[in-house]
Amino acid sequence: MEDQDYIVFDQYLQKELSKEEQSNFEERLKNDENFKNSFNTYKELSLHLEHKFEGEAEAMAFKENLQNISTQHFNKNTTEGKSSKFSIFKYAVAATVALLIGITAFNQLSSPSYADYNNHEIISLSIRGGGDSLLKEAENAFNSKNYSEAESVFNKILEKTPSNLEIQLYKAISLIETNQFSEADELLLGLSETNSAYKTKAQWYWALSKLKQEDKDACIKILQQIPEGTEYYKHAQKLLNKLD
Amino acid sequence: MSAKKIHEDQKYIEGLLKNNSFIIQAIYDKFVPKVVNYIKQNSGNEDQAKDVIQETLITIYNQAKEKNLQITCPFDAYFFLLCKRKWLNVIKKNTKEVTINEAVLSKGDDAHELALETALFGEKQVLFNTMFEKLGDACKALIKATFKIKSMEEVAASLGVTYAYARKKKSLCIGQLTKLVQESPRFKHLNN
Repeated sequence: MEDQDYIVFDQYLQKELSKEEQSNFEERLKNDENFKNSFNTYKELSLHLEHKFEGEAEAMAFKENLQNISTQHFNKNTTEGKSSKFSIFKYAVAATVALLIGITAFNQLSSPSYADYNNHEIISLSIRGGGDSLLKEAENAFNSKNYSEAESVFNKILEKTPSNLEIQLYKAISLIETNQFSEADELLLGLSETNSAYKTKAQWYWALSKLKQEDKDACIKILQQIPEGTEYYKHAQKLLNKLD
Repeated sequence: MSAKKIHEDQKYIEGLLKNNSFIIQAIYDKFVPKVVNYIKQNSGNEDQAKDVIQETLITIYNQAKEKNLQITCPFDAYFFLLCKRKWLNVIKKNTKEVTINEAVLSKGDDAHELALETALFGEKQVLFNTMFEKLGDACKALIKATFKIKSMEEVAASLGVTYAYARKKKSLCIGQLTKLVQESPRFKHLNN
């Protein structure tokens, strides 16, 4: 094609040709195979370039979003199972932080109280669930310390999956926070008798429940049951020393 | 194609177009595991599957945006065929063979036809982008400005040239690109 042809292609596409020029152009499209092929490619390229540059920002936003969802999807499959260990780790950190705060408070007030230990770490449930709105709701309520609401959402989750031990544990913590001790103690007793990953954490919280109820003897008894070599053993020993 | 009934799964295409996270998530939950399995069973790994899937979804997005893609078959079949073809191309490239076996997507049903159409669209896009990069810097800058700014008067002003020159140059630059594309063996193959 000559330069002039490309100039006319553009004028035709921009609808800038006169009626006569336009019909001549269309006539040539019918009769000249080369002309037609070049025009079609020119037109296709114009469309491609228009989309490429005009929609660049939108396409970038789409790619970014896609990348995030994809990464989350593929990570979910490989980190399942890791997450519960991770949350135990987080609990250990939380408990340590709580304990440090507790120690500071102890130095000032001399007698340990539940308030020294209830600085609960932020929980994350919905990462694993992938879009379960109930889990997200529970997580938000718990993390914003709205424990009575958290409790009711945990109940809804447990209706569907009654044997979810992690949710049972968080529900028990919410119950302690809202002073519903008998129900909390019952749940924690049940969890302490399991052989699950939450066993000693449940014992620790059960002891804290007793501490909040100012039942010092029961608290000591439960703390003494936390076996050596577990994450909560040290915390238990420290709290025992203070209670003595 | 317009005579055929649009499938209800068009909602996935619309969702991609609107960058709707909920729909994209649903595609990953419902349709991606099958693709991952297929790739893993055919000498690939999860990372490779992840890339193939992402590239496929971007091609579908582009086609929907540029060509108003409408599907007349279940999204599942269409998407799976596309990913499969893309994966077979990856394997072929690694074994240093360049030709593409079109038989993978033989013309049979709607899903095959649509997938072939999208696949060709995607391959053309790659070719167009490669050829665009071969243009001189002045052409590239002018074309970019033309489609970003829209008003040719402003384009001319921003590049410090006259309106008439900018208009003419734009046509010639796209013309040059047209030649580059038409001369490439790949294009001849795709247009057959």
